[in-house]
Formats: sequence, structure tokens, C-alpha cells
Amino acid sequence: MTHRQKLAGSLVLLTSVQILILFAGFFAPYNFAVQDRQRPFAPPTTLHFMDLRGNVHIRPFVYDLEDSGKSILVSQSDSEHCYPILFFVRGMPYKIAGVFTSEVHLFGVEAPGHIFLMGSDAYGRDQFSRFLFGGQISMLAGLIAAILSLSIGIIVGGIAGYYGGWVDELLMRGGELFLALPWLYLLFAVRAALPLHISQWEVFLLLVSVMGLIGWARPARLIRGVVLSARHRNFVVAARGFGASDLYLLRRHVLPETYGVLLTQMTLLIPQYVLAEVTLTFLGLGVGEPLPSWGSLLSSLQQYYVVSSYWWMFLPALLLIPLFLVFYTAADALQELHKSVTL
Amino acid sequence: MRTLLAVKNLSVSYRCADASQQRAVEDVSFDIGTGEVLGLMGESGCGKTSIALAVLGLLSKDQGQVSGSIEFLGRELPTMDKNALRAIRGTGISAVFQEPGMALNPVMRVRDQVAEVIHAHRDLKWQQCRADAEVVLARVGLPNSQRIFSAYPHQLSGGQQQRVALAQALACEPALLIADEPTASLDARSQYELLALLRELQRELRISVLLISHSAEVQARLADRLMVMAQGRIVEQGRFEELYRNPAHTCTRAMLRNSPPADAIEDFDFEMVT
Repeated sequence: MTHRQKLAGSLVLLTSVQILILFAGFFAPYNFAVQDRQRPFAPPTTLHFMDLRGNVHIRPFVYDLEDSGKSILVSQSDSEHCYPILFFVRGMPYKIAGVFTSEVHLFGVEAPGHIFLMGSDAYGRDQFSRFLFGGQISMLAGLIAAILSLSIGIIVGGIAGYYGGWVDELLMRGGELFLALPWLYLLFAVRAALPLHISQWEVFLLLVSVMGLIGWARPARLIRGVVLSARHRNFVVAARGFGASDLYLLRRHVLPETYGVLLTQMTLLIPQYVLAEVTLTFLGLGVGEPLPSWGSLLSSLQQYYVVSSYWWMFLPALLLIPLFLVFYTAADALQELHKSVTL
Repeated sequence: MRTLLAVKNLSVSYRCADASQQRAVEDVSFDIGTGEVLGLMGESGCGKTSIALAVLGLLSKDQGQVSGSIEFLGRELPTMDKNALRAIRGTGISAVFQEPGMALNPVMRVRDQVAEVIHAHRDLKWQQCRADAEVVLARVGLPNSQRIFSAYPHQLSGGQQQRVALAQALACEPALLIADEPTASLDARSQYELLALLRELQRELRISVLLISHSAEVQARLADRLMVMAQGRIVEQGRFEELYRNPAHTCTRAMLRNSPPADAIEDFDFEMVT
């Protein structure tokens, strides 16, 4: 497979994941906060095409969880226990991107039937819905933190590489200081210093800004290197000879050289920050209940009885692994393509 | 003839990796009058390009040290403040460098690269700058077609690229053009055409040219006056014909006659040249 195909493939996959997450309300059958105390730790619902009497249905259906097949055999009639899956059903209202309100869901079953594709958690909340909604917070955190640290990186790296001399020394030594900082402990410290009860939004901002503010050093170093070599390119010297100002040169001739590195860094940093958010929320530093994030979905795994009894609670973690792999494949392909362009 | 550029006791030294100083140009003085073409000739590595860069103030402090006086229309360039110097570059002094493929931004359309020079100096709208750029591009002999104007440098031939670079340099009608080996990377035919164009534009616009070239052919075609450099110093100068008839220095003889005598080669420190 060529790098171009790899990139195209991973971009298609990433885009579809983003669409799933962005329109979580539509793709998820339930709201992330709705509880069903009757069904804690329900296993993933199986979809059936054949009923117990051997009739094949084109439309898949689910059995009610309460009677897991046994009572149906007794009653000999499963019509009142089986619920066909309906598409574009009306359900709980939700908002798309915080603006449009809708109540149409891609799929669902009629009450009192339930469909838990990835099982349910301790409160009987649908894990699948929570996974999709949780992606909104986790991906947003990763995206904002990556943009934040890349913006700082491009400013610091651009200035350091372009002006050189003591400015370069100062900024790069400062960057090394940030590289040496153990960000996890720093975040613990910052969180400990703040009052215990702060709003979810503030927690989110804190998380994102600490991750973004600490991570700028690595992209800054890379950008500095590119700028350093770009500012002695003949066309940059020539443009200066025609009267271009420093700012113009940076903006028009030097920084465009860094876009390849920036793009690759972006695809590397986003999963890294998503993982950081997952780690922090897992440890209880992130956005708390009832808001789901990928980290809080995993945090129930801190309980021994969950780990030992309910295997489906691992599903969110298992789903994250291929997602990160796709991100890294995209980054790898981007880097290879960039290399072949510049060489 | 008024003196346009007067260079006195110019020295350029580069810092080497071991913190020692390598002198590239030593104590060079010359001046150029308005409308004059001054040829600067010398073996490669003798400091020709260093003079060009020093005159435009393009050597950064961490690269090289420049000392001496460079006066352009009576104003001292090395001590001038940044913004005033920027205003002179492009409108007062402009340059064409060798290797046009390297001197053009590979990811910008050529029309925009000429337009940005105009935009930097004239208080015009970007659209107007682009329209003016097309006029300049047509003037340097490029076909008047949108295909050429909106091409990227790699889509053009070497000769066309050098014309674009020339258009950039002449866009704001400078008084002095520094042409640093403008034809070095071109084949014989485009070399001939470009020199003819340069001559024509020089006469038409009444600009002075500092023509840097190691080639006697190029110098013979354009230069009114010739300076010969060797190892950072000017060893001889005068009218081209005079130098050609009785060259005093071995280097002059070697370059003008294209047949270096054996002793000239022995005298020459090739270590420094490469």
C-alpha cells in the first residue's frame, strides 16, 4: 500500500469516527445520563435474526433482558418478549453541536425493550451511547490542547529559529525545562491547589490548558529546526533583498515551510492528548459524572469486581486502541509523504 | 555621470566553525555611476557574491562581519536603520541571483512573487499589484499568457525562471541592479537572449548594473568597466578593451584569455578558492 493510500484510508476512517462522535445524539440510542437502575451491568445485547422456533426475520430483533430466553421457551410464544430494531425512531431529544434539537435516533427498540450494544454500567446507562458522547469531550480536549501547544510551538519555534542568537538560546533552554517537567504531577499539583468543587467547564479548561501549555516544547524544537534552515534559503534571502519585512518573510516564505511538520505533529499530538485526558480522568482529575468521557468510562475498571466479572467494561479501551493506531498511521503516512516532497 | 554607489574599504569576514575568521573580501573600494555597467570578474570563491550580499545588507551578524563604507546616493547603508534600508532594497538597489530555481519560492505562483515586491513598496491594493506584476513579466520577455503568470517556478524553464527573477528585481524600477551570475545556470541560447534583454532594459530604464560573472563573454557583452578580483582583493580595473589588450595581472590574463599560463596556476591558492 502506498503512503498516499494509507493516508487516504486513515483519513476516511478518522472522518467517519469524527462524524459518529459529532452526531453522537443521532447515532446513540440513548442519552448519556439516562439511568436504568433495574439493569446494572447488563451484558451487551445480542442481535437475533432467528427466533426460537426457527423463523428467520429480515429485521434483527432483541430479547428483553429480564427473561433471557428461559421464560420464553416456557411460554412458547416470544412475540411479547422480542423487540425488532427500528430505524430513525423518535426517542429522547438531543442537540447536535449544541444548536439543533432533534429527537430522531438512527436505531432503537420500543420500550420496555432495551438495546445495549456495549452493555450497561453500574447505573444501567448504555455504554455505547456513553462512548459516543464521551468522545465529544475527549476528542475536543485533544484537539484544543493540540492546537494550543502547536500555536505556542509555532510562535516560539519561529522566533527562536528566525532570530537565532541569544533569543534562540533562551527560548530553547526554556523549552527544555518544560520537556523535563513531569506533567502528570504538575496537573495533580494544580488541581490540588484549586478548590475542590469547580464547574465541569472549568475542569475541562484547566485540563486542556495544562496539557497544551506543557506540550509546546517538542513542536517548538521541530519548527525551530525547519525555520533555521528555511531562513537561509535563497528565495528567502532574495525576498529580503527586495525589501520584505521580517514579519512578512516569516509569514509568507518561512512558516509555510513548516506546514508539513505541523500537520504531522497535529496527527501525533491529538491522540497523545486524548490519551492524556483519558489518563487524567481515569485518575479522577478530569470532567466528572454524569458527563461521560473516555477516561471516565474506563474509571469503573478501578473496581476489582468490575474487572473480574464484567468483561464488556473493557470494550471502550479496546475500541480506543485501533483509533489511536489509525491516528498514528495517518501521522506516519503524512511524514513519509512530506519527506518525499521535500527531498 | 553621477556616482550612485560608492564602496570604500569594504571587508567581509565569515566566522568559521572553530571561531576563527575567514576573510572573504579585503579592503575593496569601487564606485558605480548612474547608467553604468560595472563588471566584477573573478574565480569562484574570490568574494564576488559576498560583495553583492554586503551591499544589500543581507549578511546576518551571526554569519559574517562587514566593515567599511557603502554609500548609496550619499547615504551610508551599513549604519542605516532597518526600515529605511528595507525601503531602499527593491526600489533603490535590487538583485538577481544565480540559480533562479532556488531564488524563487517553489510554492508561490510567479505572478504573486513579482506582485509581492510591488506590494512591499507601493501603497497599492493587492489586485492592482498583481496587474502591475503581469505588465512587468511581459516586459522581461515572458509570453503574455495567464498560463505563465499563474505557473509555479518548477513549471517554467531555467531561462523563464531567470526572467521572473529579473522581473522581481526590476518591478519597482531600482536605480542599481546587482546581477550575480545571472546566466551561470543557463544554456548558451537563453544566456544570449537574457544578456540581450538585460542590455536592452538597462539602456531603456537607464539603470546601473553591477554585473558579477566569471565569464569573459558575458562581461564583454555588457560591461562598460571591469574589475578583476582574486582572493578577496581587486587586483585590476579599467575599461574592458584595455584590460583585454594588456592584462597586467596573471588572473586577468587567465580569465580573459581562457588559457591560464602555468605559473598563474602555481601562484593560485586553490585551497582558498574551493
